[in-house]
Amino acid sequence: MKNFIYKLYKWIDERVEIEGLVKYMGKKYVPVHRNSVWYYFGGVSLFFFIIQVITGILLLFYYKGSSDLAFESIKFIMSKVQFGWLVRSIHAWSANLFILSAFIHMFSVYFEKSYRKPREVTWLTGVLMLFLALGFGFSGYLLPWNELAFFATKVGSDIAGQIPIVGNSLKIFIRGGNDVTGATLSRLFGFHVALFPGIFTIILAIHLILVQRQGISEPMHLENEKEDEKKKMPFFPNFMLRDLLLWLIVLNLLAILAVYFPAELGHKANAFSSAPAGIKPEWYFLFMFQSLKYFPSHIWFTDGEVIGICLFGIAGLLWLLVPFWDRKSSKGERNVFMTYLGIFVVMFIIVLTILGWLS
Amino acid sequence: MKKLITIIILFISLCFITNNNYAQGKDQCLNCHSEVVGGAPSELFKNDIHYKMGLSCADCHGGNSKTDDMDAAMSKAAGYIGVPKGNAVSEVCAKCHASKEKMASFGVHIPTNQFDDLKNSVHGALSTNGKDRIVQCINCHGAHGIVKVTNPRSPVYPLNIPKTCAKCHSNSVFMRAYDPSLPIDQYEKYRTSVHGILNSKGDPKPAQCVSCHGSHGIKATDDVNSSVYPVNIPATCSKCHSNKKYMAKYKIPTDQYEKYSQSVHGIALLKKKDTGAPACNSCHGNHAATPPGISSISKVCGTCHALNAELFASSPHKKAFDENNYPECETCHSNHLIITATDKLLGVSKGAVCAKCHTPEKNTEGYKVAKDMKSKIDSLEKAQKYALSLIDNAEQKGMEVDDEKFKLRDAHQAVLEAKTAVHSFNEKKFDDVVVGKGLKVTTEVIKDAQASIDDYYFRRKGLGIALIITILLAVGLYLYIKDYEKNQKKNE
Repeated sequence: MKNFIYKLYKWIDERVEIEGLVKYMGKKYVPVHRNSVWYYFGGVSLFFFIIQVITGILLLFYYKGSSDLAFESIKFIMSKVQFGWLVRSIHAWSANLFILSAFIHMFSVYFEKSYRKPREVTWLTGVLMLFLALGFGFSGYLLPWNELAFFATKVGSDIAGQIPIVGNSLKIFIRGGNDVTGATLSRLFGFHVALFPGIFTIILAIHLILVQRQGISEPMHLENEKEDEKKKMPFFPNFMLRDLLLWLIVLNLLAILAVYFPAELGHKANAFSSAPAGIKPEWYFLFMFQSLKYFPSHIWFTDGEVIGICLFGIAGLLWLLVPFWDRKSSKGERNVFMTYLGIFVVMFIIVLTILGWLS
Repeated sequence: MKKLITIIILFISLCFITNNNYAQGKDQCLNCHSEVVGGAPSELFKNDIHYKMGLSCADCHGGNSKTDDMDAAMSKAAGYIGVPKGNAVSEVCAKCHASKEKMASFGVHIPTNQFDDLKNSVHGALSTNGKDRIVQCINCHGAHGIVKVTNPRSPVYPLNIPKTCAKCHSNSVFMRAYDPSLPIDQYEKYRTSVHGILNSKGDPKPAQCVSCHGSHGIKATDDVNSSVYPVNIPATCSKCHSNKKYMAKYKIPTDQYEKYSQSVHGIALLKKKDTGAPACNSCHGNHAATPPGISSISKVCGTCHALNAELFASSPHKKAFDENNYPECETCHSNHLIITATDKLLGVSKGAVCAKCHTPEKNTEGYKVAKDMKSKIDSLEKAQKYALSLIDNAEQKGMEVDDEKFKLRDAHQAVLEAKTAVHSFNEKKFDDVVVGKGLKVTTEVIKDAQASIDDYYFRRKGLGIALIITILLAVGLYLYIKDYEKNQKKNE
């Protein structure tokens, strides 16, 4: 077997000269320390993205993006297409796990202050990809054209409509009109399978090139240690093989979830029916949705909800720009404030999500 | 003592006579109109209940009835209004008839809500002149010759009511102006009904227009408050037909309402408020109310149960029933107490109606057919229940079984059709529905639902195999990493 792999490698090398690339990867090292486990979540997120692309393409073979046929086509996929149920369930579960793993990856980067110079652009691309992943979630949620998705999209786009100045235009842009209709479905379908993947792939490419180019960031407390005292492992093949092992475990988890908790379909959307009781957005929007409930109806001269949305907008922008205002970390100094801020944000998201879930 | 009582009675009688005569003598309007002007009103008024109660012309027309000076008597200053027209007519009547105190002052204690009822009734709507109500008091009660409603001369005495109502309701030109869709043959039909025949024979007890529709507060038939709105009809009919004392003379049962309210029709109409369900008039007719005879029962039931009636008409039972003078539908289903037609009616076991005539000894062919039919419909229902349990099972396992659920509707439809097909009393026709349609589709559903359940277990088995493979791969990879890193350290 080893012989065969070596021959294959040689065969490829003779034609495309990958020796240099392999040697380059072999020279790359990943720091080994008590928090090394968090490094794997970048790879896991990438793995979920790859699964999303593959299952998404498979679903596209049968999915029909119109309000008349969308629900029926998903039903067909679930009941008539061989392993269609499995593909859809994996797509649905992988979407959720992708966002979860991206959140974990982002917070691990944040707490290690890995966004500090020279990795500001890597952080920027990473956060932008998380925002895009949320966009994937929002646009994909409507595609089955079921009751829950229909009303959740209505509520979600209504919230977007509250943004001052651009809100109404944004709402109409998302909906393709004043209401959630077949035009909204066509539009979000287009975003989900063409626009977002296109943008995401470009940003992902930049992100991965930067990671390869700059290497894996090491924690600040290791920076001052002597080079030969630092524990590290080669990126290739050691780290990559471990990545592969984790991918296999994650694949198992995905298969178990898809078989034991298959994605549901519910009832077909009907604009004339009343909204189902206790309608909630997907879990990754729940903390924002729940927070908006606690804002009073009026603050000063304006709507409380508008203030809440603006605050979330500002918070999101500040989060995106963290490397540019946390100057201390970039200078290699410890910034305890940023750590406490991160803990507050994580606690805020967890508590509000639980409250939203229970309400 | 006796003498004293006689004197007192004579004195009181004299007072009344004197008072009446005094009033007559003093009503200068009537004096002039009787002696000088003449004409029907003054003549009729002398027999009017109001005149007898001491009312004068001026009480309705205004003016001063105590003077013989015509100008003074009919002066506006004295309140003379002349002949009231339109709504003013009823308002004049209402001056007394809507006031309890005034009516009591005459010693009369009849209801005083007639005017309010009239205003809120269908007759109280605006007439074609756009100002007045369609009907005024005098249209039914007359004007100067009004007598008590218990007086056979009254136009609203029970024997006269049909004619009084027919004055307008049989007048096509008049009725067209208000409701062209309303029939104008009610009076003619009524005269052919049992109620109408007895009424024309001089019996005031049977129902006439007012008995069912009410009098002053008549509502349109599509008004839920109308006594003849479908949901209210059984109660309206039962006012008389459930009254044993009232109906004793006619020697007919009085338990129809009680039975009807327990029947499938009664429950649908009275409890579920399904106005499509039949009320008394649906089978007996309304204005031409007559009990359906033996020969017409299947036609009456067939107005709604058309297919059943058609199948029955071409069945072998039709001839047999006619020959034996059996009331068609009623023989098996009863009349007022028609219960929901379940499968228990079919077959030869206890409670089955077929067994009434078909036994192993008598009418044996029918006995065999009834037994077979029951067995087949039982098989279909059993298969249907099994299919449903499989669908539920598959659904609980999270499988997609909407198609199977949809198909099972056909099986349910076949059961319903079988309940109709049974009226053909023809085994082949029955088999076409039960076996050819119902059992066939149910078998398909059972197969598909079972396949879904099998698929569920296949998924779990598949997952198990996939897990074993990936775990083996993971373990292999783990061992490979360990081995690789061991060699790596050695080489270092």
